[in-house]
Amino acid sequence: MKVYFSLAALYIRSFYNLPGKRAPGAKLDGKKIGKLVGMTVLVLFLLANLGVMFVGLNLGLYESLASVGMQGMLLLNAVVMATVMTLIIGFLTSLSTYYLNDMELQLLAMPIKPRALFAAKFTAVYVSEAIFSLFFILSAMVIFGIKEQPHPLMYLWGTLAAFLVPIPALAACYFVQVPLLSVARFLKNRQTILLVGGVLGLAMGLGFNLYYQTMFSRLATDPAWIAQNMAGPESLVAQAGRAWPPAYLAWKAMSQPASAQAALSLLGMAAFCLSFLAAAVLVLSGAYAKSLVGFNEVRLRRLGARTGEYLDRNLRRGHAFGTLVLREVRMMNREPMYLLNGPFIIVLMPVIFGIMLAAQKDAFLSDPDMAGLLALLQSGGGAVIAGLAGAFLGSGTSITCTAVSRDAKALPYIKSLPIKAGRYFLAKLAHGLIFGVFGAVAGVGLLTWALGLGASDAAAGLAMALGLSALVNMAGLWLDTANPRLKWDNPMAALKQNPNSVIMILGTMGLIGGAGYLAFSQGLSSWQAAAWFGLVPGVAFAALLAAFPAYAERRLAAMEV
Amino acid sequence: MIELSRVSKSYAKSGVKAVNDADVTVKNGEIFGFLGPNGAGKTTTIKLMTGVLKPDSGTVSIDGIDMAERALDAKRRFGYVTDNPELFARLKASEYLNFVADVYGVDTADRRERVERYASLFEIKDVLNASIGSYSHGMKQKLLVTASLVHDPDNWILDEPMVGLDPRSSFNLKELMRERAAAGKTVFFSTHVMEVAERLCDRLSIINKGAILFTGTLAELKTRGGSDSSLEKLFLELVDDKEEAKA
Ligand SMILES: Nc1ncnc2c1ncn2[C@@H]1O[C@H](COP(=O)(O)OP(=O)(O)OP(=O)(O)O)[C@@H](O)[C@H]1O
Ligand SMILES: [Mg+2]
Repeated sequence: MKVYFSLAALYIRSFYNLPGKRAPGAKLDGKKIGKLVGMTVLVLFLLANLGVMFVGLNLGLYESLASVGMQGMLLLNAVVMATVMTLIIGFLTSLSTYYLNDMELQLLAMPIKPRALFAAKFTAVYVSEAIFSLFFILSAMVIFGIKEQPHPLMYLWGTLAAFLVPIPALAACYFVQVPLLSVARFLKNRQTILLVGGVLGLAMGLGFNLYYQTMFSRLATDPAWIAQNMAGPESLVAQAGRAWPPAYLAWKAMSQPASAQAALSLLGMAAFCLSFLAAAVLVLSGAYAKSLVGFNEVRLRRLGARTGEYLDRNLRRGHAFGTLVLREVRMMNREPMYLLNGPFIIVLMPVIFGIMLAAQKDAFLSDPDMAGLLALLQSGGGAVIAGLAGAFLGSGTSITCTAVSRDAKALPYIKSLPIKAGRYFLAKLAHGLIFGVFGAVAGVGLLTWALGLGASDAAAGLAMALGLSALVNMAGLWLDTANPRLKWDNPMAALKQNPNSVIMILGTMGLIGGAGYLAFSQGLSSWQAAAWFGLVPGVAFAALLAAFPAYAERRLAAMEV
Repeated sequence: MIELSRVSKSYAKSGVKAVNDADVTVKNGEIFGFLGPNGAGKTTTIKLMTGVLKPDSGTVSIDGIDMAERALDAKRRFGYVTDNPELFARLKASEYLNFVADVYGVDTADRRERVERYASLFEIKDVLNASIGSYSHGMKQKLLVTASLVHDPDNWILDEPMVGLDPRSSFNLKELMRERAAAGKTVFFSTHVMEVAERLCDRLSIINKGAILFTGTLAELKTRGGSDSSLEKLFLELVDDKEEAKA
């Protein structure tokens, strides 16, 4: 048991990148406090964002259900949704953390029971699931609570249920994954797994978005439809809820919170959920530990007789700056975690949206509700929308705002090479801009096609997209140069747990939202918009660029790696 | 020639004084060994030497070129084997060699010839197409050695180069060090292996807790220690002496 607790603590710390215990005597100085406050604000901001989304969703559902007098269904809906979401998120998380790194092979060599190992991994994944589930069910309960004034015990039952909901979901994930990864050797490869997981994740994110959009587009016009089809007693969600005992029992408890039935229902739910946990630990632990072996295998093919020919072809002098850029591109694109969260986004998003649009384009543009929008598009709005979409894609790769952090391990070596600091950083910028331009062109192109824009609107949109995304990429590099994350043991940490990438994503959304608001509220023509949101950011980019090399050189010299 | 004069360095983050007022001079045609216990400051000294870290005080020069003033020129004059071969795992070995050669501006014919020579010597020639991540520790080490010589530098700086090498490769590496020194080039390396230092070095320094305790030939060390014992014994005595003096 003791082993389990320390393993679980270890996993949780490395999953969520929590700081270890402070060394005795180490003091919190101003900079550390500043960082802590910054991170807290950031986390609160993200939670608030999620909260707004969840509350909005539940409020919408409540209102449509109330319009037909079925508001009680809201809680069942919340439990079912939480179950489905924890199943999806749990599947992705457990898959991407199935084999963390070679540290786990060392764990296998220690006298640790497979049961403790598996349970610890399960726990670490469960933590984020529980938080998510609690968050979702809580937002439904609060809305229901304010509107309907149920007995306060509902909150207790709901909270307990929220903690129980993810357990069978996560157990199910492992019941699929452990056998799968024990048998399928080709899957036993972190790269493959991450790619599969990434594509699944994006597809699911998109599916959720679609659900959300469908609901809100009907909310104003047809609440009864929502009640009927999305949460009413005959809807798929409600049927699933009644068929799945934990959801049904949780709903029972929350609907009659003060009755003795409630406590019994919850007890039943706990027994049901925990039995899944017990089954998973009992059945899967051994197989799980065994399946970890072989994850770090790689193939090494010898050239043999072709060696000379290979060297003749491949050892060639390249361009001095080009070689720096090429290294950046390769180092990023060949790390699946980086590829998925970076460059891949600007390829996949347009493809998926393109397919969706191609399927729905005619229906979309001929909808009578769209007449107003079409008029807006003709008067310059189209260029702005295309420009902002392009700017979004061109800024979304997280290449520059993690460029220094990702390279942390190589920095000592790089610093010993005769490379001008300015050029080294400009190669990073060039890498970001290459993909930035690609994203900008893809975004603008897609919307030009979808909205049927003319050449001048497209050009104005492209100017905006290029100006804004160049500025964002430059700012991101500046940020990661000023405050890089140089200490990490998992490459994922340099990107996913890098505050700079979160700051840049939020900043980009703010910038694009602000630009859109200004453009529409001021009724800018497409050329005015191109000047304000293309030329001005372009000039700002140039100004930053001029000042950057000197700054970067000073920063690089100060980095003690 | 490599010259460190009165160099000190404290890490800003940890506040550790890693190198304290160190003087090191490596003359042309010399193999110079750098010995010291774990955490003594060997790697830090080498990072100061290669311009990876900036000294708090003191000067570094390579072939008389000051690192602080003409960093790029100074850096062109040495090849460096880091203590961490886990670099660039996602690159293919040939891509990595090309990168390094491009940075030093080595033309196609020279890089082809040098890679051929050193990669054959270390028996990694027919896996240069593979990604570095698929290499064993020793193979990565040998690739770093190959890369460090791709521009045929006059100064060769190696941080614990024998770690992870098999006997034959280790032998070849030592031969290569001797060959370069015989050609009038400098070789500077850190190590924990006393036998290697004993048989290979023309001169050596012993560093402990950031301070250089001894610099000279093995014979001088023996005179100073007043005995004809092995380097290992002399090393331990020297390092322990200071410990006791402080206590
Ligand atoms: N990046 C760093 N930041 C802060 N302190 C460091 C850093 N690198 C090394 N140190 C500290 O500097 C001191 C000297 O370390 P250094 O790596 O130079 O030792 P070393 O002689 O190379 O040891 P080893 O034989 O283990 O390689 C140690 O106290 C170490 O903790
Ligand atoms: Mg060292």
